[in-house]
Amino acid sequence: MAGEGDSDDALAARAAAGERAAFACLLARHYDRLFRLAWRWTGRRATAEDVAQDVCVKLATAIRGFRGEASFATWATRIAYTTACDHLKAASRVHLLAPADMSSLVEASGETPEQEMQGSELWDQVRALAPQQRDAVLLVYGEDMSHAEAAAVMGCTEKTVSWHLHEARKRLKVSLAATG
Amino acid sequence: MTEDKLQHLKGLAAPPARAEARERALAAAMAAFDAAASDADLAARGSAAAVEVSPIVGLPPTPNPSPRGGGESAAEKISATTPKDASGADRLKLTNNPIVRRPRMQLTRFQYGMAASIAALVVAAPIAMHVMRDAQPRPLAPEGWSPPAEAPRGAASKPRGLDETVAKPASPASVATAPTSSGVPATHDTQRIAGRDAPTIEALRREAAQKQAADAQRREDSKAKAEAGAKPTADVGAVVKTEADKDAKVGNRLPHAAERAAELEATTARKGNRKTEAGGETPQGTVRLDSGRGQEPTAVASPSVTVAAAPPPPAAASPSVAVAPPSAMAPAKPAVPPRAQFMGGAAPSSAAPSRNLVVPDQSGAASRSRHVGEAKIADGHPVGDVLAGQAGGKLHSAPHDQRTATYMPPRPEPAPHQVEENRDQFQGAPDNPVKQVAQEPVSTFSIDVDTASYSFARRALNGGRLPPKDAVRVEEMINYFPYDYTGPETADVPFQPNISVFPAPWNSAHQLVHIGLKGYELKSTERPRANIVLLIDTSGSMAPEDRLPLLKNAFRMLVDELKPDDTVSIVTYAGDTRVALEPTRVADKGRILSAIASLNAGGGTYGEGGIKKAYELAEASFDAKGVNRIVLGTDGDFNIGITNRDELKGYIERKRDKGIYLSIVGVGRGNYNDATMQALAQNGNGAAAYVDTLSEAHKVLVDEASSTLFPIAKDVKIQVEFNPAVVSEYRLIGYETRLLKREDFNNDKVDAGDVGSGHTVTAIYEVTPVTAPPSVDPLRYGGTAASEPQRRVGADTGPREAVAAGELGFFKLRYKLPKEDTSRLLTLAIGPQQTKATIAEAPAEARFSAAVAAFGQLLRGAPYLGSFGYDDVTALAQGARGEDRFGYRAEFLNLVRLAKSAAR
Repeated sequence: MAGEGDSDDALAARAAAGERAAFACLLARHYDRLFRLAWRWTGRRATAEDVAQDVCVKLATAIRGFRGEASFATWATRIAYTTACDHLKAASRVHLLAPADMSSLVEASGETPEQEMQGSELWDQVRALAPQQRDAVLLVYGEDMSHAEAAAVMGCTEKTVSWHLHEARKRLKVSLAATG
Repeated sequence: MTEDKLQHLKGLAAPPARAEARERALAAAMAAFDAAASDADLAARGSAAAVEVSPIVGLPPTPNPSPRGGGESAAEKISATTPKDASGADRLKLTNNPIVRRPRMQLTRFQYGMAASIAALVVAAPIAMHVMRDAQPRPLAPEGWSPPAEAPRGAASKPRGLDETVAKPASPASVATAPTSSGVPATHDTQRIAGRDAPTIEALRREAAQKQAADAQRREDSKAKAEAGAKPTADVGAVVKTEADKDAKVGNRLPHAAERAAELEATTARKGNRKTEAGGETPQGTVRLDSGRGQEPTAVASPSVTVAAAPPPPAAASPSVAVAPPSAMAPAKPAVPPRAQFMGGAAPSSAAPSRNLVVPDQSGAASRSRHVGEAKIADGHPVGDVLAGQAGGKLHSAPHDQRTATYMPPRPEPAPHQVEENRDQFQGAPDNPVKQVAQEPVSTFSIDVDTASYSFARRALNGGRLPPKDAVRVEEMINYFPYDYTGPETADVPFQPNISVFPAPWNSAHQLVHIGLKGYELKSTERPRANIVLLIDTSGSMAPEDRLPLLKNAFRMLVDELKPDDTVSIVTYAGDTRVALEPTRVADKGRILSAIASLNAGGGTYGEGGIKKAYELAEASFDAKGVNRIVLGTDGDFNIGITNRDELKGYIERKRDKGIYLSIVGVGRGNYNDATMQALAQNGNGAAAYVDTLSEAHKVLVDEASSTLFPIAKDVKIQVEFNPAVVSEYRLIGYETRLLKREDFNNDKVDAGDVGSGHTVTAIYEVTPVTAPPSVDPLRYGGTAASEPQRRVGADTGPREAVAAGELGFFKLRYKLPKEDTSRLLTLAIGPQQTKATIAEAPAEARFSAAVAAFGQLLRGAPYLGSFGYDDVTALAQGARGEDRFGYRAEFLNLVRLAKSAAR
């Protein structure tokens, strides 16, 4: 297959030039990471799959404009991040059932709600944070980014990220203590 | 400690994406890539690779993508699914432009289909088990559930009795998982169950049905029967919510849940009545066949379970949908207390188990119950009595006893757990009925230039939802658009009626009488001086971007439109009332703008005297020759000093008589109090506009500033008398809340709508010519509807009949000039000269407004449109876009598309 051993950025450059196989390879390489990111934000597998698919389509349409100014991974992360946030924003107008309830309704396949919600308490608390605090926590702790990288993705300064994290920690301390 | 936990966050495994989802995403992306490739200039690139459209199978194998996949590699997975890929791609129907959501929607539907099939299996199996246990001495239950040791033999054979749609989605998955040893566990299980039980399911179901029938007969308990009937349809569409789960807010609108539930419901419905019977009650009453609950038996057993209606995306309204069979009215009786039964009451009536039939009922009930739950408006009342009462008897209810009574949403029950999410309030009025010309030849109504309904519907549609039916007022949707009617020459006769008659797009036997009024357009030199008081809600709820900030921008634009010697003052109300700006001439624009800029949201709403203060200021700078108007900007908290709505209305009315008018600009969603806004603006001689975007604000406050601010006529009423010799029936489309009594037409004391400079007003009647079959059968006895016209033709020998010969009807318009108190009359005969033989001959403006009318009725679920659907609306509107200077009509077309997908 084309470019199995090539670096992401080399593949991305070829994909930007229109090489189909290179793009397919890139996607296959990154899909799982993008999906996990989507999951961290949305907390539901079905939703995360939808978001991940949106991200893939966005990447496909935008790859031609990819100029290699950032690494492909960062670029894709940023797109995934904005897509997930957009999705949450759109969904926030609607109060969904708690994921566990939802999945018990229609998700006959897959894991039980308990399995799906591993460590759910912490996730719940993190997702209940204000959007920017949540994003900062998920990017820095979930995606293992540096503050600077997170700042680039979130489109703010490094200091702001640190501040959001600080706030988030303060809040989490309280909320986690409350739930034991 | 927190830090530790957070460090732990990365370690927490996210669940892996399902292989199918991954496949789909990659396929969609590659299709998008190809589409982009075909768009790009291929010749310039000259790259063979870009042109080559390789099949999806060509995806490269990936390094182990699934953290939990064990030894199995992605390549294996892909090759395992390879045989299905061709058909899979076909199923996706990937269009050239996959960015449109179509492929994804189909995919998710596929997913739902799959969930539904699995649900059906999971649910059917226990019942099958149960019946088998009853039928045969051999105890089956526990062993039946343990997976058989060998590879599922049933994986390849589809269970009989499942229809195609269900079986199809199931098979790719089974192929995908069968050859591998690990696969998705649950899918595996279901497959096994399916394989094992498939041959017997059919027989078992039948048995269950018989048993059920016997049971039901034995008990003769009608209540139980109702419940049995209710289960499969009503409950499947319902969302189970446990009381204990306080966090789980059941939104009334759950696109996800609702769609899925609807899908399940559809599947259930397809299965037909057999299942309906079987599903009622198994002897133990623990396992029920409704998919929603069946999967969580504990929820069924738990007493704390409540069922809230989740409105599925209401399907496109067609008569078959909205015309509820008589039994649907049963639940309207207050005697049916439990909610499940009430919901179900309509369900058994669905003779054909179609999803459409059930859906509107439920959504109607749901949206209504939401309103009632608010307990602020008496929505349950069948007709606009409430409104009439509140409007001081000035507005009239439709005589609902004469309604053809084909559609009556069930009387809502307050849901035990009221959902906080949507507190928008709308006062619903049922659609105007078809009226017999013989019985009631005269139709009277007040004009309506409000546009709030359209903006609100747009906002809902842009959010992917259908607007609540009560929020849709057809006349407001029609009047949202400026129409290029011929206008009057002078301000003395401020109106020019444009009337045309053409075949109804949705029923060629009927005709539409299209009445377009164009108000005189003041030239800017003639424009009177304006004294404007902005009364702005600055309570905490106004903080979001689409509220106060939007209003501030809107008012900034408004100020730019004003002339230097106009006056502006600003009053704000929140925790207290504040005069943010004393009356200031627009010449001093800087001061006004900085006052607007300094507005901030915060605090409660105890604005004691907010509105009084505004009127005080308006009076202080009152301009007897000019226009004095208060523009209230709010998100719906009308706690502005006078909290009683009637008292408030009276106050506004008195001020109106002194010459100070009130207009309302509504913003925000979630708290929007449409009913109050309407009532206040109507009483204040002003328009209520709902502003959701800056461009909408621009339309209301800039493009239409002169019509919003400068009235050219007030108390404008329309009366149309139909000629029974030509027309047998008529129906006024929209204006439900604006109907007037026949005698009110000539009564100048009766308030009616006002028209601003350059406003256009459109009213459309659907009429049935005497040559066409009437929708109501003639009466057999006494003064029959059908024979009366002939009798009258014979009996009346006067010249009236001769004049009326060939005339379809007679149009009368009453209006007052802004500063006058006696009304003037304008008349026009509607005759053959205005009649067009085909729709195509009708003016474009008339055709477009007919399209909007159809759209509004579709959204309302009105039962008069036959099979006319969103596509027909698009086609009709597309051909009549006209100049569309501001792009409103293009936007409309987009909304129709959105509605179509939201209705699915």
